[in-house]
Amino acid sequence: MRHWSRGSTIAMVTSGVIAVLSLAVMSKAGQAPAYRAPRSADGKADLNGIWQALNTANWDIQAHGAGPSAFPRLLGALDAEPPGVGVVEGNEIPYQPWAAAKKKENFEKRLNPPLDKETNDTTGDPEAKCFMPGVPRATYMPFPFQIVQTPKYVMIAYEYANAHRMIHMDRKPLSPAPSWMGWSIGRWEGETLVVDVTDQVDRTWFDRAGNFHSDALHVVERYTPVSRDALSYEATIEDPKVFTRPWKMSLILYRSLDKNAQLMEFKCVEFAEPFMYGHLVKQ
Amino acid sequence: MSHRFLASMGALAVMIVASVSVAGQTTAEKAKAAAAKKAAASKPWTQPKTAWGDPDLQGIYTFSTFTPMERPATLAGKQTFTEAELGEEEDTDAINRTAEDRPLREGDTGTYNTFWTSTEKGRRTGRTSLIVDPPDGRKPPLTPAAQKIRDASVAAAAARRVKIGVMDVTLYDTWADLPAYTQCLARPMPRIGQAYNHGIQILQAPGYVVIDYESMHDTRIIPLDGRPHLDKSVRQWDGDARGHWEGNTLVVDWTNFTDKQEWEGSPQGRMHFVERLTRVDANTVNEEITVDDPTTWTKPWTYVLPWRADDPNYQNAEDLYEYACHEGDYRQMEDALAGSRSIEKANPDATKRGSK
Repeated sequence: MRHWSRGSTIAMVTSGVIAVLSLAVMSKAGQAPAYRAPRSADGKADLNGIWQALNTANWDIQAHGAGPSAFPRLLGALDAEPPGVGVVEGNEIPYQPWAAAKKKENFEKRLNPPLDKETNDTTGDPEAKCFMPGVPRATYMPFPFQIVQTPKYVMIAYEYANAHRMIHMDRKPLSPAPSWMGWSIGRWEGETLVVDVTDQVDRTWFDRAGNFHSDALHVVERYTPVSRDALSYEATIEDPKVFTRPWKMSLILYRSLDKNAQLMEFKCVEFAEPFMYGHLVKQ
Repeated sequence: MSHRFLASMGALAVMIVASVSVAGQTTAEKAKAAAAKKAAASKPWTQPKTAWGDPDLQGIYTFSTFTPMERPATLAGKQTFTEAELGEEEDTDAINRTAEDRPLREGDTGTYNTFWTSTEKGRRTGRTSLIVDPPDGRKPPLTPAAQKIRDASVAAAAARRVKIGVMDVTLYDTWADLPAYTQCLARPMPRIGQAYNHGIQILQAPGYVVIDYESMHDTRIIPLDGRPHLDKSVRQWDGDARGHWEGNTLVVDWTNFTDKQEWEGSPQGRMHFVERLTRVDANTVNEEITVDDPTTWTKPWTYVLPWRADDPNYQNAEDLYEYACHEGDYRQMEDALAGSRSIEKANPDATKRGSK
């Protein structure tokens, strides 16, 4: 039409160009623009809340079908192993040859009762003894945990065995001693909380399948909000004493939305004691 | 010359002139500066607030003290120490600590000494007891029912004590015969004195106050949103806490304790505490606890335990160590139980129950 002004033509063309460019950006990213979580008091992504994994990684971090419990004649289908698609990227754990054999041995002896100190030190799933699970296993135990976020410290309190850890966000003090839950130094990379975890004792496992590490374990965790009620969790595992290269787990953590959700007490020492000391009670 | 160079030379010149001025202060100027400094020091301390306006209790503390819960009979009627008396008490505390390293009697394998107990103790509160009510600084009497429970518990423990030669030996039939804290299962709450690891860290986030105890790696996450307690059928070793602010004081209602836990010598199942946490200065958060259990004590009683931020042992978060108690405790548990079984096997007559 003759009445189309140059201005409206320019506007049409411009908005068309913008639309094409936006599409290009979006398809380059492969997804919608990244989610931006509400802000904490100091302007960071707010990770405060109660979270829990919704997978069966604690049974086996690799892909696995369903299986019987450890004592089918006693328990029937109770505590049978639920299946899982796995949380290990590529589904391969790059063990050194000696370590692959050790993992198998761990699994076979996972419920050997600790009849002496030597056995207690070297054998058996630490979860059966209510030992603190270490990182990253604490993240995907089938129990909730709570993140309490402040500018200088991010504390994570786990319902399982009332384990907790303090992530240092400001000063970077050195680890005073090896520990079960590791030494955590954290920083923000944009919307992601990145945590370097070092100096863990070698007594924890990654799961009930016997996957394990040495005292050289170095874990780098990345917590990224992907929606209001979900965090992406990635853990890069490095341990030159056990693996041939670094490898990675990745899973989603879901916010508990239940009314009055709270961590309750799971002080499991008293549940572990019959297993650990039953052979020493007065007959 | 560039503008920037001239500007920096100018700034340097100003600084030099300024420092010469300070050095060359007149008497009047010095007096004015001193007065300003004194005024600043005596300015009333103000309560810090978090970014969202709650009173700020955050910090690293120790709850250790040598002040006893109850006023000793020798100090009846005396509520506080003078500065001089306090100094003498603390000197005696120091001497008593080194006495822990006395040489042992023949055959005595010994117990905790100064190697194991902490160096963080040594401060008294200035009062003669932690208890502030009743005014005599002592707990109210136990109810008859509570006394009966205590007598039965003492008798049950005595039944497991036997004499082997010159040694008094306690036998453990099962893991539950050891105190809950020796099992590394739970330590009585509210926390009072222990031999070591009195570290506390307080963190706050909107809607929560979080108290992290070094000892037994316990974390109390206290919601402030007015939600109800857990159902009364749920009993926990550390109870269940609900908080709200009254002015600058966090008032915590603390219930739902398990009867399996003992606090100050009695089962906790019906204990109800009202905890009041108030920052009273830059270095101190006072924990005031009102104890309310009419089935155990004939009336409520109150004590105050200061949490101090000025102990050199507890200045930073890394001063709270991981308390991997249970992870290492099986040695003690196995030795206590296996030892009892060995003693019984070697001394069947002396260890027969009911033979005393």
